[in-house]
Amino acid sequence: MDQRLAELVEELTTSGEPRLEPGRMKELKKICKSSEEQVSQAHHLLLTRLREEHAEMRFSAFQVVQELFARSHHFRTLLIANFQEFLELTVGIDHEQPLPPPKEVAQKLRRAAIKAVQEWHEKYGEAYKQLSLGYHFLKQNKKVDFQDVHARTVAERRREEEKQKRLENIYKEKVKRAEKEMEEMSQEIADTLTEMENCFQLLMPDPFNFGVNEIDPELSKQTSANEARPASPLSSQGELYPSSLGCMDDEQPCCSKDILPVSQCVAADGNKEVDEKPEQEELDGGTGSDIPFSGPALDDDDYQTFVRNHGLVSHKYTLDLEISTDIKVQENEDNTAIINSVMDAHKLLRNKFWPSVQSWIQLLTRAGINDDRLRCAIELKNKLETAMKKYKEIDISFKARKRKVMKASDEDDDDEDEDEFVEVPEKEGYEPHIPDHLRKEYGLEPQSPSKAPVAKASMGAAPLRSRPPLKGSEDELDPTCAAATLKLLRDKLPKLPSPHTSESATSETANLEDPDSKRRKLEERAKAPLMPFGLDLHYWGEDQPSAGKILKFTSEHRFWAPSEVEEEVENKEITEMLKTRYITFAGKFEPVKHKCRAPMPDGRLCERQDRIKCPFHGKIIPRDDSGIPVNAEDRAREEKMKFEKQAAQPEWRDPEFMREVEAATGLDLGSSKSNGKGQKKKGKKQKYPNLTDLKQQANTSRSRLEKKVFNKGAMKRVMKAMNRVDQRKHEKFANQFNYALN
Amino acid sequence: MLGLMAARQAGLDDPARLRRAERTRRVLSLELNKDRDVERIHGSGINTLDIEPVEGRYMLSGGSDGVIVLYDLENLSRKPSYTCKAFFSVGRSHPDVHKFSVETVQWYPHDTGIFTSSSFDKTLKIWDTNTLQPADIFHFEGTVYSHHMSPVATKHCLIAVGTKSPKVQLCDLKSGSSSHILQGHRQEVLAVSWSPRHEYVLATGSADGRVKLWDVRRASGCLSTLDQYNGEKSKASSETANTAHNGRVNGLCYTNDGLHLLTIGTDDRMRLWNSSTGENTLVNYGKVCNESRKGLKFAISCGCNPEFVFVPYGSTIAVYTVFTGELITMLRGHYSTVNCCVFQPHFQELYSGSKDCNILAWIPAPREPVPDDISEKSLPQQCVNPAYEDAWSSSDDEG
Repeated sequence: MDQRLAELVEELTTSGEPRLEPGRMKELKKICKSSEEQVSQAHHLLLTRLREEHAEMRFSAFQVVQELFARSHHFRTLLIANFQEFLELTVGIDHEQPLPPPKEVAQKLRRAAIKAVQEWHEKYGEAYKQLSLGYHFLKQNKKVDFQDVHARTVAERRREEEKQKRLENIYKEKVKRAEKEMEEMSQEIADTLTEMENCFQLLMPDPFNFGVNEIDPELSKQTSANEARPASPLSSQGELYPSSLGCMDDEQPCCSKDILPVSQCVAADGNKEVDEKPEQEELDGGTGSDIPFSGPALDDDDYQTFVRNHGLVSHKYTLDLEISTDIKVQENEDNTAIINSVMDAHKLLRNKFWPSVQSWIQLLTRAGINDDRLRCAIELKNKLETAMKKYKEIDISFKARKRKVMKASDEDDDDEDEDEFVEVPEKEGYEPHIPDHLRKEYGLEPQSPSKAPVAKASMGAAPLRSRPPLKGSEDELDPTCAAATLKLLRDKLPKLPSPHTSESATSETANLEDPDSKRRKLEERAKAPLMPFGLDLHYWGEDQPSAGKILKFTSEHRFWAPSEVEEEVENKEITEMLKTRYITFAGKFEPVKHKCRAPMPDGRLCERQDRIKCPFHGKIIPRDDSGIPVNAEDRAREEKMKFEKQAAQPEWRDPEFMREVEAATGLDLGSSKSNGKGQKKKGKKQKYPNLTDLKQQANTSRSRLEKKVFNKGAMKRVMKAMNRVDQRKHEKFANQFNYALN
Repeated sequence: MLGLMAARQAGLDDPARLRRAERTRRVLSLELNKDRDVERIHGSGINTLDIEPVEGRYMLSGGSDGVIVLYDLENLSRKPSYTCKAFFSVGRSHPDVHKFSVETVQWYPHDTGIFTSSSFDKTLKIWDTNTLQPADIFHFEGTVYSHHMSPVATKHCLIAVGTKSPKVQLCDLKSGSSSHILQGHRQEVLAVSWSPRHEYVLATGSADGRVKLWDVRRASGCLSTLDQYNGEKSKASSETANTAHNGRVNGLCYTNDGLHLLTIGTDDRMRLWNSSTGENTLVNYGKVCNESRKGLKFAISCGCNPEFVFVPYGSTIAVYTVFTGELITMLRGHYSTVNCCVFQPHFQELYSGSKDCNILAWIPAPREPVPDDISEKSLPQQCVNPAYEDAWSSSDDEG
């Protein structure tokens, strides 16, 4: 009976199932019922099972314990007499002795155990002092919350706390570092941002300036609605327009005039065709000229004349202005510098500041810091974001960027310059005369008088010029106007022709001289290889008379003189050295394109891409799709090999057959042995096949590597090798004190 | 027992014999009893316990959070089950509470009107029990590990204090000042104990592994230093010469007659010394697990035939016979390290305090209520508590 009991306990606890098998349990209970001795025996067996370092085993044993605890007083006294150990093994109250893996089962075990302790305490707590003590201990000292589903003990919590603390420390350090970084970098960021902002200002009007325009439709609507006071809204409108446009005009440097003006789609209200142009022009005129249009108090008369002057029927128009948000900036030579700096700044923002700010925020949020630092970082991030968004919105269309190679100021180089680049005179600053066919290149609209009024006259150089002369002259009087600059330049131009144009002129003439030789040179250059500069090139075509000569001075000793010495020795090698060049020829790497493609036992083809020889299948030979060699002789050789292999193993030992025989007879005939390593491992019988294999879980690549690397033999070998190296050093540098010492 | 009583009545036996036999029996049957409980007041580990020697009724306990609690042990309710009530406590809200862990509490040996307590906050306080105010406070330079008042002194009123400094201080209650300093130890003094036989003899144990016996009337030096090898130079390496233990000595206890001294050290050993000659009696107690870094309080029974010693042993209490070193039993009940135990001589009860905040009362098991002549049938009825019954289901298939 004892034996049966042991068997039962073993079977029950090694099943690995979350539930006990009722049949066996019943049998066990029956045995235990028979006598107290059996009960104590069972208790002993179960306790040894509980001590196993395997959570599944413990869990099953615990379930059996639970069953018996509810039934036998004797079992209860036995268990409670050693309740501390029981709690240690099931609840894990000792934090130096946590529950064994697998983790999920351990969790389950703890939860079940705590629940059981509570139930037991309710039922038997009064009778068994130790039980209630244990319950109170769990409740008060280990702070087990019996309502808590997770049922974490203090030990576990402490472990977690320690982990948390460690993490916190790391974070603290990181935050400190980030803070420092932030301090250092924020200034830089601010500088870059202001730089970018300024560049934007230069490139295009601030979008907030457009806001004034956006108000307009509303105002005009008001106009239509409020007929009683027709003048004031219009006047205000009139006031607004010039001011807004004027401010745009005045503030923008000339480069901003290249922006396509905010396209204003005019939608007429109803079917009244409103010609906006004249008004627009008028307004334009107002900006540049001194037409007094901005008077705040326009009386009725003026208003009437205004309406009449413009051929308007009435003033009941609604002007809907749509401001397209896609602003395009075309790069041209005027704004290259600005765009360059914008681009640089943007690149800096995107590549350097953005990621670092991002990482700060991440770090700060992870560290749970919620104060000025985080706010500051977020602010920075927002600023960066807006700047980057703006940059994207501007949508600069770049010229194809050419890398200008700095050349030495040789004449040859000049020549090259001319060859490589098409004749384009360098342009810097303002160019007064742009030929029509080139206008497009400059990002200017063709100079067509018909379109001129459509294009907003306030922008762009061309329309400016197309203006009637009277207005132009007026413009020129205004020093802030682009026209003034233009005039200034025009005045200066005849006196000092720009150096660039003159240069281009000369080069052009040089070019014209020998187009033939130039072409030849070009062809030659295409053929010639590119070589790094060397001594041979340095002395190219020169004869070096003194090269390779070694001068030996005669001894000036008073009486001691060496035997006859040739004063000059010519060393051929050195002379040669000045004229030779070593070119290493390493060949070119060619990736292997073929595969081994030998058939493998699992039916696939070998995927290895070795150049000549596959380590598994020998020399690589051409094979067809099914892995059979293409050449007949190869095929024959392979056949032969196979045959030989089979011959080495007698036919009756065919592994398939052997396995069958073994299965039938139950004898080990050694089929697994002859069948390689893979089978051998499987042959090893597991003790408890139903339980989770803990060793399997521990069998990670790391542990395997560890086994290899920290293998005693390997360590010894490495030690020996290192000692040998050391030894050699000692022999070599024995006379040096630091080697002599150790 | 009946036989003993008869012999006692007939005058055949020594009058003390019955008493001794019964006491021994009771001590041997000490167990955790469900009928006796001690109120849970302490929120942290219990470092020290003391029962007043006059009536044996009141017990003091000192916790590691500085709290001192006074319990009434006497069961006046005439019911078997009794929970020891706390009379009062010096809680955290008390203005004069110890700031740090209380290491030792002791009653004034002759009266319950005074008790003393010493703590890691470097003070020794003399309390008036009735008003619960400190009557006097002694300040020291180091943390106080232990103090003791002589139970038999009539001519002096000295408290020996072992602190972090290697000097043993003697505080005079009469003058309210530290009167003496005993120099000789090299490291902190973890345990002090007055002899219950000679009022001027003091034993001190220190972290340097030495146990010294002093006569406090002699200022020049100690009486003797206990040597674990009894002076046999061959066995003692130069380092361990004149040491009582190879580790720190953190527990001292005289037997009740004062003839022997028990010491316990962190080398997991307990040694019994002849207190008059300073000789190691070489009683082998085996390994006595002791990981405490502070003083350890253990107790010796009183009036039994072989005397017993109760020693904290991890989370259990080991019971040894003093003179033969035989391990009688392990009292299992605490869930954490036991710090102290104290023996109540009148009813042969043992109280133990542990780090798990519990004070457990170990009560002698009542005599078996089953004389031989009671029939088997009446047995089940004796099981009053249904929890003690088995609950096997009746049908065979159910099991």
